[in-house]
Amino acid sequence: MPLWFARGLRRGVVTTKYPARSDPSAASLPTPPAFRPGQLTVRAVDRMIAECPGTALSRVADTLVFDVGSCTACGRCARVAPQAVTPSGEFELAATARSALIKTIPIRGEQR
Amino acid sequence: MKPGPDETATAEELRKRIAVQFGRSLHIRTLDTGSCAVCEQEIRLLTAPHYDLHRLGFFFTPAPRHADLLLVTGPMVRAFEVAARKTYEAMPGPKVVVATGACALGGVYQSDPFVYGEVDAVLPVDVWIPGCPPSPLALLQGLGVAVGRLAEKTPGLTFVADGDGDAT
Repeated sequence: MPLWFARGLRRGVVTTKYPARSDPSAASLPTPPAFRPGQLTVRAVDRMIAECPGTALSRVADTLVFDVGSCTACGRCARVAPQAVTPSGEFELAATARSALIKTIPIRGEQR
Repeated sequence: MKPGPDETATAEELRKRIAVQFGRSLHIRTLDTGSCAVCEQEIRLLTAPHYDLHRLGFFFTPAPRHADLLLVTGPMVRAFEVAARKTYEAMPGPKVVVATGACALGGVYQSDPFVYGEVDAVLPVDVWIPGCPPSPLALLQGLGVAVGRLAEKTPGLTFVADGDGDAT
C-alpha cells in the first residue's frame, strides 16, 4: 500500500509541523524593543514616551510600563536612547490575556 | 459531545471543544473594522505557497455562518459596531475572536472620537496578536495559540535586554 494512502487514513495526527523550517526573512522583521534597565534613566524614559507615536510606553515612578500590544515597532525609542534600547527579536507575541502583553521594566540608570 | 452554542463556556473549555469538534479544520472570517489594509495584506499572504495556511487546516470563508474564528483588524470604527455585532452573532458556537494588529489592541487610535480604539470594547476577544502589521509568521502563531495547538510564550518574555552591562 502506498504510504500516502496509509497516512490519509489516520485521524488527528499532525502531519505538518509549525514552522516547517526556520524562515530566513524573519531575521529582518521589525520587532518590539528590549530595554537595558541599567542604562535607562527617568529623563531618557520621558523622552522616549514623548517620542512614542502610540500609547506603548508610560512611566509609573521608577518603572517603565511597556505595552507590547500597542507597540508598532517603529524604533523611535531606540533612536532617542540607542544605548538603552535594542530590538528584542521577538515577533510571535500572540497572547490569550491582554494583561500578558503589558511588561514592567525597572529604571536603574543613574541620574545625570 | 453536545452540539450547540454555549456562550458561558470559558476560553479553556472553548479551546478543548474546538479541538474535539473541529479536529484539524477551522474556518476563518476576517473582519476589517477600519484598518489601513496592511493587516489584510499580511493575512492574504498566509494563503500564499510560502506560508501555506491550508496545510495546518485553516481555511478562509466569506460567510460568518460558516466561520469558527473571527479575525478582527482595525480600531473598531463606531459606525461599524452594528455590523461587527451582527457578524459575531451570525457565527455558530463555539467561536473565537482574535484581535489582530496594534490598532485592534488599542495602541494607536485610543483618543480618536470616531473609533472605539480597541476591538475588546465591542466583541469579546480571546486572543490578541500584536504587531503593526503582524507578520504572517506571527499570525500563524496566533492562530495556533487560538486553537490551543501552540503554547503562548509572551507571558515568559520580559523585554529586558540580556547582557545589561555590556552596552556598546
